[in-house]
Amino acid sequence: MAEALKRPGGELASRPLHFFWVVDCSGSMYGEKIGTVNHAIQSTIPEMLDAAKDNPNAQLLVRTLRFSTGATWVTPNPVSIEDFAWDDLDASGVTDLGKAFEMLAAQLTIPPMTDRALPPVIVLLSDGQPTDDYKKSLDKLLHLPWGKKAVRIAISIGQDADDDVLQQFTGNRELVLQANNPQALVKMIKWASTAASLVSAPASRPKEMNIIPAGNNTPSATNAPLVLDMNNIPDPGSIGANDVW
Amino acid sequence: MDGQLKTGTSLTAESSNKYKVISLLGAGGQGEVYDVECGGKHFALKWYFKHMATKSQKEILDNLITKGAPNASFLWPQDLIFNGYGEPFGYIMPLRPKNFKSIVDMMKRRAEPSFQSLCKAAYNLTNGYQKLHAMGYSYRDISFGNMFFDPDTGDVLICDNDNVSANGIDNSSVYGTPRFMAPEIIVGQAKPSRNTDLYSLAVLLFYMFMMGHPLEGKLEAEIKCMDIHAMNKLYGKNPIFIYDPNDKSNRPVKGYQDNVIIYWDLYPQVIRDLFTKSFTVGLTAPNKRVTEKEWLEAFANLLSGIVLCPKCGAEVFSDVHKHENGVAQTCWNCKSAVSMPATLVVGKSRVLLQKDAKLYAHHIYGDFDMNTVVGTVVQNPKNPNLWGIRNESSENWTYIKPDGIQIPVAIGKSAAIAKNVRIDFGQMTGEFK
Repeated sequence: MAEALKRPGGELASRPLHFFWVVDCSGSMYGEKIGTVNHAIQSTIPEMLDAAKDNPNAQLLVRTLRFSTGATWVTPNPVSIEDFAWDDLDASGVTDLGKAFEMLAAQLTIPPMTDRALPPVIVLLSDGQPTDDYKKSLDKLLHLPWGKKAVRIAISIGQDADDDVLQQFTGNRELVLQANNPQALVKMIKWASTAASLVSAPASRPKEMNIIPAGNNTPSATNAPLVLDMNNIPDPGSIGANDVW
Repeated sequence: MDGQLKTGTSLTAESSNKYKVISLLGAGGQGEVYDVECGGKHFALKWYFKHMATKSQKEILDNLITKGAPNASFLWPQDLIFNGYGEPFGYIMPLRPKNFKSIVDMMKRRAEPSFQSLCKAAYNLTNGYQKLHAMGYSYRDISFGNMFFDPDTGDVLICDNDNVSANGIDNSSVYGTPRFMAPEIIVGQAKPSRNTDLYSLAVLLFYMFMMGHPLEGKLEAEIKCMDIHAMNKLYGKNPIFIYDPNDKSNRPVKGYQDNVIIYWDLYPQVIRDLFTKSFTVGLTAPNKRVTEKEWLEAFANLLSGIVLCPKCGAEVFSDVHKHENGVAQTCWNCKSAVSMPATLVVGKSRVLLQKDAKLYAHHIYGDFDMNTVVGTVVQNPKNPNLWGIRNESSENWTYIKPDGIQIPVAIGKSAAIAKNVRIDFGQMTGEFK
């Protein structure tokens, strides 16, 4: 008797999930700050890969945008997480955040974006004030369908970061994560990297926790559980220099 | 990867067993899982994050440990490590062997069970939840992540049992997983219960058999951004089954939902009927959902109704509806006609009589035991053209000829397979068709 054939069909259908690291590489990031960022993001890549392997609903595509004097795509095209490797960034120049928003907006337009996807995730890391006029390009970004739908997270590095600007980007104070020391920075980068899995396959919602809706409209029913669970954002107050992992 | 517990840490459990932390295996939303060792044996330790180490979680665990596992398919809490409220705690359970794969592995085609193993896994999974519900519990979070299976045998292991609690009592910390949550939970009208478990189970079974989601058809294909609002609408506010016989608005779309199109017609009508009931009536009437018993009867017949296509070797499911309506059965792979062997019909059970086919306790006692073999289809050693069923049970059977003559079939003896002959198995009588 012949051996049984493989069952027909292909993998479970999934949608692309675009993940953007947007990193401030201005002169004030020079030294330990950019060193910590490079190390922390590189360290999260294998964890992002592991999470992607367990996620049947998404194809995770990653890209890096750096901004200082002007802005440049480090990876001009979306790279599958399986093939993504972190290229160390160096820091010098000013903080042309507006230019970064402009370039993000260009990539979040359809095309090059496909019209069917999961919400993109944008993680913006910055330690200072924008030196260019960011308002117009931010406005443009936030009016794009994919810009509006994107889960936008900011990591505010040190005391000099402009949290008001970052909040204009995230649309939500709680998604401006405070990183006032290297340990906190590492933790926040790690948390932000998990947003990809939260967006595509949100975990079971723990009950009676602080939940932030992922979109603009709060679901009408009080119990509606399909919300992005931000409960595990590390509390900056609880992270000290002695907090070792 | 660093966790909350350091390698080598020794933890004393309530049983006074001492467990040594070996390594971190993984982390989830509620806590971390470690490989731990006690007396030369390895176990898994789930260690809660501080904010999840609650009094109600501790009470759930105490109860689960006292009551014990519903059956061997559960990686059930068996010991507790607890040093007082305010301190982190965790529980011990058996470690999952490496040959068990996740449903995600199946969805990504990293694990390729045969149809036989797939049906066995579906059977074992449903049987496990049936036992759990029979104990008065609900599971609350049936989804991809909490069940593992052996692609070679169809054995299953159900994990993450720490949310299991008495049905109707709202003390666990989960609402379920998107895409698996019953619509009434999504719209905020209900909390997890045995009936919402039945919905999630049907979704998981649909994923396993059809490699797609029962509500993802045209309406999903038309959604651009699959965000929370879209998910709420698709799975909660406006759910429409892709094969709803009375509403064609959400049929699967070629190019987007190819798997369900391939698989839907491959299974017998009875399976399509159960899924249709699950996602039409069952969407809005939680107490009319397909019960585990209905699934188990159907899966038992699926398991005993597979033939290999003589031409290409593909596993083909016999369909009693086609048989009764005189419709030819064809191979899904090479499309050639497949003739079906004779069938032994005992109550609701149907067993195709082919070489080495097994008769299980469930077939003759209706007890859902699909592990204990009570008979095997064998060839007559003197005349290989004659086939029979050998009695491998612990009771004598009675062979009833068409003319009414009765012949005892002692244990170890075989009864010839012939038209219009019946076998009295003691509790039930079977007939060859």
